[in-house]
Amino acid sequence: MVKLTDVTKVYPNGTVALKNISLRIDKGEFVFVVGPSGSGKTTFIKMLFNEECPTEGKITVNNYKINEITRKDIPYLRRGLGIVYQDFRLLPNKTVYENISFALQITEALPREIRRQVPMALALVGLSRKANMYPNQLSGGEQQRVVLARAIVNNPSLLIADEPTGNLDPETSWEIMKLLTEINQRGTTVIVATHEKNIVNRLKKRVIAIDGGILVRDEQKGQYGNEDTNS
Amino acid sequence: MKIRTVKYVVKEGIKNAVRNKLMTIASICVVAATLLVFGIFYLVTANLQYNTDLMQQQPEIQVYCSPEIDDSMVAQIEQTIKNNQGVKSTETVTKKQAFEKLKEMLGENKSLLEGLDESFLSVSFIVKLTDPQKGSNVVKELEAINGVEKVTFPEETVQGISKINGLIQFISILLIIVLLIVSTFIISNTIKLTVFARRKEINIMKFIGGTDWFIRWPFIVEGVIIGVVGAIIAFLIIGFGYDTIQNKVDKDFVHMSFNMIKLLSVYSVAAQMLIGYIVVGAFVGAAGSALSIRKHLRV
Repeated sequence: MVKLTDVTKVYPNGTVALKNISLRIDKGEFVFVVGPSGSGKTTFIKMLFNEECPTEGKITVNNYKINEITRKDIPYLRRGLGIVYQDFRLLPNKTVYENISFALQITEALPREIRRQVPMALALVGLSRKANMYPNQLSGGEQQRVVLARAIVNNPSLLIADEPTGNLDPETSWEIMKLLTEINQRGTTVIVATHEKNIVNRLKKRVIAIDGGILVRDEQKGQYGNEDTNS
Repeated sequence: MKIRTVKYVVKEGIKNAVRNKLMTIASICVVAATLLVFGIFYLVTANLQYNTDLMQQQPEIQVYCSPEIDDSMVAQIEQTIKNNQGVKSTETVTKKQAFEKLKEMLGENKSLLEGLDESFLSVSFIVKLTDPQKGSNVVKELEAINGVEKVTFPEETVQGISKINGLIQFISILLIIVLLIVSTFIISNTIKLTVFARRKEINIMKFIGGTDWFIRWPFIVEGVIIGVVGAIIAFLIIGFGYDTIQNKVDKDFVHMSFNMIKLLSVYSVAAQMLIGYIVVGAFVGAAGSALSIRKHLRV
């Protein structure tokens, strides 16, 4: 599903964000990516959907080779993924419903299909009643749930979340995480970059720890290690 | 692209234009203002052209027959003139008409003509030329006709006017090109602003997996709407404005004995202006959108 081979990322200003990372994530897995700020985990996540390109090495996501992908193929790569952004990236001029249906419209889905899928995704995240509101009328937790609904509406095989709970209170964070595990139980591979020590420890999933651009730990039923925090 | 996507694109373009009211109105105003300037300039040059063309056609050759020739000979001369290739049209001035004209010219002094009749005058022809530039050649040919006494031709005026005409043509083409470039630049810059205000939106669409064209089309539709609405507004303003001015000119200048200035009627320019406006508006709107969105699609 996801395969990295000797991936190194150096930003134009000379910062080395990732160094020789090799790993493999299989279908149906639930993976936490942890590490202090600036460790390179966001770079790792961003490379999965080509917001950033690797400087060296090979990345394969859903059979797309990220390191040699053409500009034309990028949209199709992204359609096959559900992506939850820390900064939401909702369209401010569209209602909740339109934001979610947009993800289907770009794939030229049948209107019938759209009318069926969107309410289902909204129901799953518990926002059916706010379908006609605009993003700025919602709380942070609600917006994050809209993003989640948008990410899953076209049934992606891989869901990628970059600090999905970064701006939320503990209770809402836990709800979002529960949603993610539910989605995972339905067969979707889930990759979550996070800082939430409690949640990681509680869920006991695979943990990939990155520090200073180096893969320091990769264990099944892992814990959030002490070295993974800034403090 | 599937039909439902075309529908979506058009609907989306209209929706966006309505949702971003302020920017849409601002852009429409800029388009209308630029096209207005463009239109005013176009009308001025078109009228200049029209008037110099008129003037150029006016210098007419007058062919006077000898007074003593008879009617059959007059008819013969007329035929010969008409057969000349450089002649566009002829008009016969009979002795009687010439006499009346003379009377009119003398005005209060017409008593001078008392006791006289038209027989001392000669029949003449007013000849219009197909190409005034070749006037002198035609004059020579006409002078050679048997029974023609005198041929008059205001040569210098013709050459002066045709020189001016060429100059006006050159300058107006030059200025129209410059104005076209300037308006394209201004309009596409305004659209760039509306796109810039929504660059995040474009980015987001790209991150969800929208293809470049799927994102671009609604913006192009929006640009075309802005361009066409602006064009129609400019057309209405300039149409009514020009109609008013033209009516005034027609009324006021007719009273002056020399009606030198004649304006093209609104109706003769309206159709071509409307089409030109809409084509320019739509094209510039679409191109402006497509070009200014390009940068933001690179994610």
